[in-house]
Amino acid sequence: MKKTTYRGIEKKQARWGVAFVVPSVLFFCLFSFYPIINAMFTSLFDKRILSLAAPKFLGLGNYIYIFKSASFWNSMRATLVFTLGTFIPLLVFSLMFATFIYNICGRRSRGFFQIAYYTPAVLSSVVAAAIWLLILAPPGLGNQVLNWLCRTPGVDRKWLANGTMLQFSTMLVYFWKYIGYFVILFITGLATIPPTIYEAATIDGSSKWQSFWRITVPLLKPTILLVSVMAMLQCLKTFSTQYLFTQSGGAAQDPINVITLNIYETGIRNQRIGRASAMSIVLFVIMLVLTFAQFKISKSDDVDY
Amino acid sequence: MTDKTIASNRSSGLLFALKRVPWARILIWFLLIVMLVFCVMPLVFMVTASMMPASDIIKMPYRWIPRDFHVENYVKAIKGNDGSFTFPRNILNSLIVALTVAFTTVLLASLTGYGLAKFRFRGRNFVFMMIMATMMIPFEAIMIPLYMVATGLHIQNTYLGLILPFLVSAFGVFQMRQYLLTFPGEFLDAARVDGMGEIGIFTKIVLPNCTPVIATLGILSFRGQWDNLLWPLLIVQDEKMKTIPLYISKFAEEKATDEGAMMAVAVLASIPMFILFFALSKYFIGGAAVYESRKG
Amino acid sequence: MKKAIIILTIVALIAPMALFAQGSKEASGPITIKFWTHEDVNRNPLELQYIAEFEAANPNVKVEYTTQASGKMADIVQTAFAANQGPTIFNLPISDEYAYIVNGRVAPVDAKAAGYADYQAIKSAYVDGTLDSVTVDGKIYGLPLELTNWAILLNKGIFRDAGLDPNKDYPKTWEDMVAVSEKIIQRDGDIITRRGFDFRYGYYLEWLVPMVEQLGGKLISDDGKTAIVGDDAWLKVLTFMQQWGPNGKNLGSSTYTAARKLFNKNNGDIAMALTGYYQTARISEENPEFYASGDLMVIPFPQFKDAVKEVANCYYGHFYMVNAQASKAEQEAAWKLIGYLLSHGDEYLDKAALPQPTKKLFESPEYKAKPYTDVFSADMEKAHIMYYSENSAEMQKLLKSAVESVMLSGVSPEKALATLKASAQELIDEN
Repeated sequence: MKKTTYRGIEKKQARWGVAFVVPSVLFFCLFSFYPIINAMFTSLFDKRILSLAAPKFLGLGNYIYIFKSASFWNSMRATLVFTLGTFIPLLVFSLMFATFIYNICGRRSRGFFQIAYYTPAVLSSVVAAAIWLLILAPPGLGNQVLNWLCRTPGVDRKWLANGTMLQFSTMLVYFWKYIGYFVILFITGLATIPPTIYEAATIDGSSKWQSFWRITVPLLKPTILLVSVMAMLQCLKTFSTQYLFTQSGGAAQDPINVITLNIYETGIRNQRIGRASAMSIVLFVIMLVLTFAQFKISKSDDVDY
Repeated sequence: MTDKTIASNRSSGLLFALKRVPWARILIWFLLIVMLVFCVMPLVFMVTASMMPASDIIKMPYRWIPRDFHVENYVKAIKGNDGSFTFPRNILNSLIVALTVAFTTVLLASLTGYGLAKFRFRGRNFVFMMIMATMMIPFEAIMIPLYMVATGLHIQNTYLGLILPFLVSAFGVFQMRQYLLTFPGEFLDAARVDGMGEIGIFTKIVLPNCTPVIATLGILSFRGQWDNLLWPLLIVQDEKMKTIPLYISKFAEEKATDEGAMMAVAVLASIPMFILFFALSKYFIGGAAVYESRKG
Repeated sequence: MKKAIIILTIVALIAPMALFAQGSKEASGPITIKFWTHEDVNRNPLELQYIAEFEAANPNVKVEYTTQASGKMADIVQTAFAANQGPTIFNLPISDEYAYIVNGRVAPVDAKAAGYADYQAIKSAYVDGTLDSVTVDGKIYGLPLELTNWAILLNKGIFRDAGLDPNKDYPKTWEDMVAVSEKIIQRDGDIITRRGFDFRYGYYLEWLVPMVEQLGGKLISDDGKTAIVGDDAWLKVLTFMQQWGPNGKNLGSSTYTAARKLFNKNNGDIAMALTGYYQTARISEENPEFYASGDLMVIPFPQFKDAVKEVANCYYGHFYMVNAQASKAEQEAAWKLIGYLLSHGDEYLDKAALPQPTKKLFESPEYKAKPYTDVFSADMEKAHIMYYSENSAEMQKLLKSAVESVMLSGVSPEKALATLKASAQELIDEN
């Protein structure tokens, strides 16, 4: 840092900057860094949640154990499937619908669609799960609507029973919940692209399809980056849908035993807090790496208008 | 897919006649409406089911129009299965917690975001990176150590216990910082030349220019707390201090709860969120990603 | 920059320490008892009334009585104990409570405070063997709030509707259960609209293990060294479950509404459910018409046709326990309160249908005269307590995963058994 260039005023200002930042920093120290450092420390021990005795030091034993355990890899698979299966459709469909709404609708219907698509996000996850469990139960609306559309009365689609369908169901609920939010994000992004650019492109003779790929997508890059990072982190951290589906819906756990659910089960139900901490640290590192990768990739060619 | 149809129509030129009929438009409207039905149908189900006796809800086929308003569902939802009427108090708790968190998040996040965006000091980038890193911490990972911090402060069964761990969010800081990065520094310098204090500049110049992003952040934080299940579950045991998600999940587990009453609770618990959402939708829809719009 | 990092790290580490430095203060003056129990509409008001009486008689004691959703209770109590902030009094099923005893988290019964002369007096007050699960090294660590086993509740109306005579055609074997269910079941295509019977999914240690034992299998060998004994028995039970599920005869599954919940409504959705005696109190409260109609019947836990041993559904206990970290005075007051509560065994039975296994109660003519208790008592004779150990929650999960994989995910019983065997063995080898 350029220590010598600080002059009186700048030094004074720097102090104000520090003063503005300090309250939050203290907060994060206490409620984020301390717990995560504590979790890192715990992950090195065979700590049982109820035990009062000093836990046995395992070194990297917990990490070695989880990397050998089938249940951990099953969770990695479940998390990966869920993340890819949710975040790619979310990205594609929200961009698609945002483009539709932005280009086709008038001002009023644009607002209407945005609000309507967003309403599911207003419900809390407990409520959303309660609704969807009724819809996806065998005699529920899910089977009825699909059978009505496909003209196949009486077929049970096994939304919560069949492993593949169950994974699809959790993705569906997530998609339903977040599509509106991302559509809104993209519409706001689209609104920032100056219309003159499109006009120029039309004069150049490019089709709408071409201008979408050549103008809209590159200029939307910051939004796409933001949406993809956010959606990805959210998907990796998903917990409540899977938790409520298995707790109150009678759904099988193995197909949707995502990593956070596994952490909760291992740490709380099975009392192995050391092993659970090791899993959390692995998840933390994965998220850090993926986020940095996404930022790195996108930073290499920043957009200019 | 649809864009492809547009493209092929345009580029081939052979189907010139077809272009007269706005197929693409019709298709797009159709898709928009399909999506609309998908988004809204579960909500319509929730509202209609809340007015029906349980036997009608799990019957096939589902009757979309309730025979009559089955008020018992709502009575049961508010009274509780044991008739203790904790529902109003729990709603109030949720409101208190969510509003306080929304307020502190906006205040602290804008303060920090402003400090990080507009001041230069040693370790600034480091602080920013560290705050960003906290976004990657899964809550389940730090649940137990966090609980130990909270019990160390003796704040179980208090509003403070519900609020303190969520005073400010890393995402909020990030959002405010990004927004304020593009805030013209000349305004600030001009104010300083006029002899305005730093706190004055923050409250009189910075904050008023951030209303859209503040509204967004406020709603998101409010929503986050309205939805929070895991932390209140751990920190609050006293009925009087429970929040709405706890009430719902307990209600759902009780043997005497049927599907109708469950949906009635769902409707009641969603009302405050809907009111807030529709009242502020103007800000929200325009400003969900407002900091980007300033770049244009 | 470097300096900033160092300072920040130090702050990050020290700030929380400062918090804990206060430490815990020894309570003086009035004693506060934190009492956590699960939600039970019939029992909670009763206990609140006793607590009010107790507080009136002991003005220096204040009781904070809070109820939790039963499904979340174990997690909440555990987290609180992990932070050394556990409640003074709590109760959980014995399978969850045992870990608290082993880890020294709960205090032995204060016999005097609880109203007994000594441990011998406690032991002789309760039915033989009912305190074994909470007795370690001669010390008793809990007193039972309830000791419950499950049998099958039957709705005669639905039997008659299906052309069956409930008194004659009720299922005695698991094979009967399938046959009877097939007669009662109604479907719309593949979707079941009326079930004959359905299991209580998630509680496999309670009912699946006895089914295996009927065929000569075991969860754990007698020497405690081998898990999942008797492949044939396990295979047969897992195959039975596979056949029961949507990929087999499609007679029921965990994704339908829980049987015991539908049963109370008498809406023609389900004819039989596996549940405890307490359910009869819930029915008389929730659906008095059904209760009074005389259509309710209780039948014993079925046996396999080729069973080698008669085994009924396991019983389990909920025991009141006291936090070992509470101060001496708190512990004493807590046991005094528990003793006072449990002295009302007859009312627990009357108002909440919770049988407390005291000799006085179990041998009383009032208990025997109560409707339906005969079947439960007879089944209890053929049952043993459910598997309890430090890792019983984990064992329950392994069984759950095995049953779900054969019933729902289409895994073959052989493969599910192999997985179950390996993971259960690993679990018991660890301890």
